[in-house]
Amino acid sequence: MNNDKLIDLVNISKSYGKNLILDDLNLYVRENEFITLLGPSGCGKTTTLRLIGGFESPDTGKIIFDGKDITELPPNKRQLNTVFQKYALFTHMTIAENIAFGLKIKKKSKSYIDDKIKYALKLVNLDGYENRMADSLSGGQQQRIAIARAIVNEPKVLLLDEPLGALDLKLRQDMQYELIRLKEELGITFIYVTHDQEEALTMSDTIVVMNQGYIQQIGTPEDIYNEPENAFVADFIGDSNIIPATMIEDKVVEILGTKFKCVDEGFGKNKPVDAVIRPEDVILVEPDKGIIKGKVTSLIFKGVHYEMEVMANGYEWLVQSTKLVPVGTEVGIDVDPFNIQIMHKPESEDEEAVALDE
Amino acid sequence: MNKRVKNSIYASPYVVWIIAFIIIPLLFIAYYGFTDGEGNFTMENVAAITQPMYYKALWLSVELSVLSTLICLLLAYPLALILRNMHIGSKGFIVFIFILPMWMNFLLRTYAWQAILDVNGVLDQLLAALNLPAFNIINTPAAIVFGMVYDFLPFMVLPIYNVLIKIDDNTINAARDLGADYFTTLRKIIIPLSLPGIASGIIMVFVPALTTFVISDILGGGKLLLIGNIIENKVKADNLNMAAGLSLILMIFIVLNMMFTAKYDKSEGGNML
Amino acid sequence: MKNVAKKIYLVLIMLFLYLPIGVLIFASFNDSKILGKWNGFTLKWYTQLFENEAILNSLRTTIFLATLSAIIATVLGTLACLTMNRMRKVPKSIIMSITNIPMLNAEIVTGLAFMLLFVGVGMSLSLSTVLIAHVTFCIPYVVLSVMPKVQQIDNNMYEAALDLGASKAYAFVKITMPDIMPGILSGFLLSFTMSLDDFIITHFTRGSGFDTLSTKIYTEVRKGIKPEMYALSTLLFVTVFVLLLLVNKKPAKVTERSKHAKIKKYIAAIASIAILVVGIGFGVTGGAGNYTQEVYVYNWGEYLDPEVITMFEKETGIKVHYEEFETNEEMYTIVATGARNYDVVCPSDYMIQKMIENDLLEEVDFDNISTSDNIGQQYYDRAKGFDPENKYCVPYCWGTVGIMYNKTMVDEPVTSWDILWNEKYKDSILMQNSVRDAYCVALSKLGYSINTLNENELEEATQLLIDQKPLVQAYVVDQVRDKMIKNAAALGVIYSGEAIYMQRENDDLEYVVPDEGSNVWIDGWVILKESENKEAAEKWIEFLCRPEIALMNFDYITYSTPNDAARALIEDEEIRNSIIAFPDNTILERCEVYNYLGSEGDDLYDSYWTRVGAADSE
Repeated sequence: MNNDKLIDLVNISKSYGKNLILDDLNLYVRENEFITLLGPSGCGKTTTLRLIGGFESPDTGKIIFDGKDITELPPNKRQLNTVFQKYALFTHMTIAENIAFGLKIKKKSKSYIDDKIKYALKLVNLDGYENRMADSLSGGQQQRIAIARAIVNEPKVLLLDEPLGALDLKLRQDMQYELIRLKEELGITFIYVTHDQEEALTMSDTIVVMNQGYIQQIGTPEDIYNEPENAFVADFIGDSNIIPATMIEDKVVEILGTKFKCVDEGFGKNKPVDAVIRPEDVILVEPDKGIIKGKVTSLIFKGVHYEMEVMANGYEWLVQSTKLVPVGTEVGIDVDPFNIQIMHKPESEDEEAVALDE
Repeated sequence: MNKRVKNSIYASPYVVWIIAFIIIPLLFIAYYGFTDGEGNFTMENVAAITQPMYYKALWLSVELSVLSTLICLLLAYPLALILRNMHIGSKGFIVFIFILPMWMNFLLRTYAWQAILDVNGVLDQLLAALNLPAFNIINTPAAIVFGMVYDFLPFMVLPIYNVLIKIDDNTINAARDLGADYFTTLRKIIIPLSLPGIASGIIMVFVPALTTFVISDILGGGKLLLIGNIIENKVKADNLNMAAGLSLILMIFIVLNMMFTAKYDKSEGGNML
Repeated sequence: MKNVAKKIYLVLIMLFLYLPIGVLIFASFNDSKILGKWNGFTLKWYTQLFENEAILNSLRTTIFLATLSAIIATVLGTLACLTMNRMRKVPKSIIMSITNIPMLNAEIVTGLAFMLLFVGVGMSLSLSTVLIAHVTFCIPYVVLSVMPKVQQIDNNMYEAALDLGASKAYAFVKITMPDIMPGILSGFLLSFTMSLDDFIITHFTRGSGFDTLSTKIYTEVRKGIKPEMYALSTLLFVTVFVLLLLVNKKPAKVTERSKHAKIKKYIAAIASIAILVVGIGFGVTGGAGNYTQEVYVYNWGEYLDPEVITMFEKETGIKVHYEEFETNEEMYTIVATGARNYDVVCPSDYMIQKMIENDLLEEVDFDNISTSDNIGQQYYDRAKGFDPENKYCVPYCWGTVGIMYNKTMVDEPVTSWDILWNEKYKDSILMQNSVRDAYCVALSKLGYSINTLNENELEEATQLLIDQKPLVQAYVVDQVRDKMIKNAAALGVIYSGEAIYMQRENDDLEYVVPDEGSNVWIDGWVILKESENKEAAEKWIEFLCRPEIALMNFDYITYSTPNDAARALIEDEEIRNSIIAFPDNTILERCEVYNYLGSEGDDLYDSYWTRVGAADSE
């Protein structure tokens, strides 16, 4: 992956009427990157994508593509293509006509177009569907046609707006692998929008977590998962125990009245913080061997693991474990210092509200 | 009791109604059309259309109604597009604007046009005040076309608008995204997708325009007989057989029009709503 | 820039749509009966509106009809959707196609089909026939709005209700109905509006004794609409406009539910107007109140002082159902087919002869009409031309056909019909839009009898009329009056009766009976054979023959009265002795009465006249 900025969004703001959607957003995308904009609905991720696609123009700020300012360029002049949420296939055309649409506009030769159609259909595993009508296909098939229609134009960047949102679970998982494979084969940049954190974690090189028009965190999936920068990210990515705590000193945090060892430093002394502990990182041991004691209050079988709730020091801990512990059992709770993530308390009420929203 | 039997029982009042008041009246038209005053079979009423005075009137009706349908389409399509792109929150508001005039009786509105377009009428007085020459189209085919366009324009706008707002923004965006400029998008995507609405609109405008007798009466000064006027005159002159015969001829055109448009419009005018 | 162009386009279209409405609203405040001629501001049409029973009645009928047909159509249409939805594909699509026929077919064909049906099965046209027709053409609109909702019904919800212990009926009412309610409501609304605005189908299926606003307006269109009608339309329009604005006011978040609520409000608004309007007076055919008898009168438009009806009703206690026709031929069709039932009618000479020959008339018992002696004997003598034994007809009005011209526009003496063929007056000539009167002009000019059946003569006359067509501004009936008053034409063919009124309104107008001769006509009251209220009909004629009543009518309609006693009462000497109103014998000698030409003669004239109609006008 090279580090050149292919797309650079500079100080972008956008509002609809009184609703501020994006507030002074800065973001760049590198060549060949699979970048995912992740966040709840209304966070501005789709608007960001539409700005890049050219379907909206920003109130302020610039969009730089390959060194050129494309802020005012209409979509048909931009060297990128979009895969829309509900596919947006042209229902009055056949599959072949759909795929050929962009190529015909570029006045490509017939044989070139035919080859491209064949190639694209093969790529999305739908060879032989040329003459079917668009609306006679299943959702997953339509989705793949939408991708084929976009990639035959050999865009530098493919924008994908929640492309798997309408598919069922199994199909969604299959398509995730398909997309990764496609990206490898095509060697182009993918900008992917989703509200599904699992999708984001599975496919992305980089994840941009957004909420209410602001970027909350940018990082690799591992960074985002393991070291969320604030409660919103922690809560939005996976299940978490987010517990009010006090940083006693470097590497020591007091959680629910008990001191825990951790690896974080530089928060100062006796500062209120939030401690984030992933449920799979909570280790259940004999009552006496844990840091604190508790009692299992509920138990659900989840397939690969059990999910339990443990009442300890007045807090209901979410715990995931492959080991079954019956309800009512007295247990001890232990956490590896590496698995305790310390976050600053939200400073303004605004941020608080954001955090509580989820 | 068998569910289907039960359903047919519930359906029966309606079926009786449509047989009695839709099918049978049409059979009456056919009966009168093919008989003379004494009830003997004759082709005379239908064959009358071969006489110059009748086919001329029919031809004039066809010409004027095709022309006014085209003008309606040309006026309505951009209008519907503009309205669609305005993204007015409630669709009801648009419908409201075009349905509202119907609360002023259409005879009165057409009559008002007569007063506006008449020799020394409102428009002429206005033009005279501005030292402009008088504008004389009253009592000409142009006035009739004008009246038709006025009366039937909403029936063209609404179905097209209703289809256009159903087109997903992203379908249009997708075309743009794939490199189409605005007019290519219009030609290749928007217009093909709105064909059902256009078809509905054509039915809703062409048929009443073809068969009107009121507009030609009020704005044509009685100088221009459309096929509708002839039928209405035959009824007035108590020649019901001839009126029925000519109605049969008229229905051929209506059916042709419906067959032509049915290709595009599966809802049979349903896009009105 | 592009946006400015779009806005201009929108504004132009809106102007186009609403300009005539503006003109009509303007006209409702105009102190002139003529649309497009401003005489100053007035509110009098609004006050007169509430005294005009005829208009108010037609309003009540219209609203009553629209409400009832919308209700029935909604019930039937909804039932149709619910049952159709469960049918197999083929019967379903057949029924669906039949349902849509009235919506896709031409209104004139639908109207005619209904008329033939009702006449064919011997049902006389009435409010019920209009209702049936309206229900039938409203149903497709209901089906169109309800069907999509029915198809979306979630059967699970219905089953859930059953599962929770609801009976089928209860589940239907509580679960299914609310689901399809928005469709039902908008179907109702659409039906209501369609019924309200319909003219053509009502025109063909209407019975006697009532008018809807549309049919009333149509009758009035040709002679100038009464300004009260503008006032009423303005009130209706503004009311609906304000209501709809209020309903549409909160555009914030349009959820399915608020839409639903909006339609509900709209319905409530319409319902309240309906109740209000119907409440102004009671019922449509009801409201008979204390009347013991009734009489159905069919008269020419604007051919009676409305005050006379009120006086008659007050004195005799007989309810008058008063209706107007436009041409003799139109009247004949209605009466002869038995489409509507009338008691007493006022046709012209030749038409009376036709009705006598076709056995439609009852002999008048002159003993019961004591005032019939007020009619001058010379008129009875003249009436022998079409009623040889004076058994059927009591003369009511008479006059000549002649040319009305504007002295400022015509600079030569007008003595001959020839002037109507003078290129100089191209587009300034108004001709009569009725067969006999048009042929009267052409045949008189040629020196032939106006009752000729000689095909060569008719051929010649037809050619003459076709030649004249490019010169003619319009073929009209009573509109000659308003147009000439407005100085919109230089010459017009018209009945002498209009002349006095027109001269009163415009000093520059002059009337003349051309030297070649013309038609002298008599309109008289006759009683129909099928009349069920003969006694009331006789009382009606008796009343109209009273000198003071005849004078009232003369003052109002300005058509010459054959009532010598009434003429003697005319105060204005100039009018009493006017040769327009009461032409002397030198004029009458060159005039001829129309005779009935037999049904073949009628068809002959009709086919020639259609040829004129279809001829090129340029």
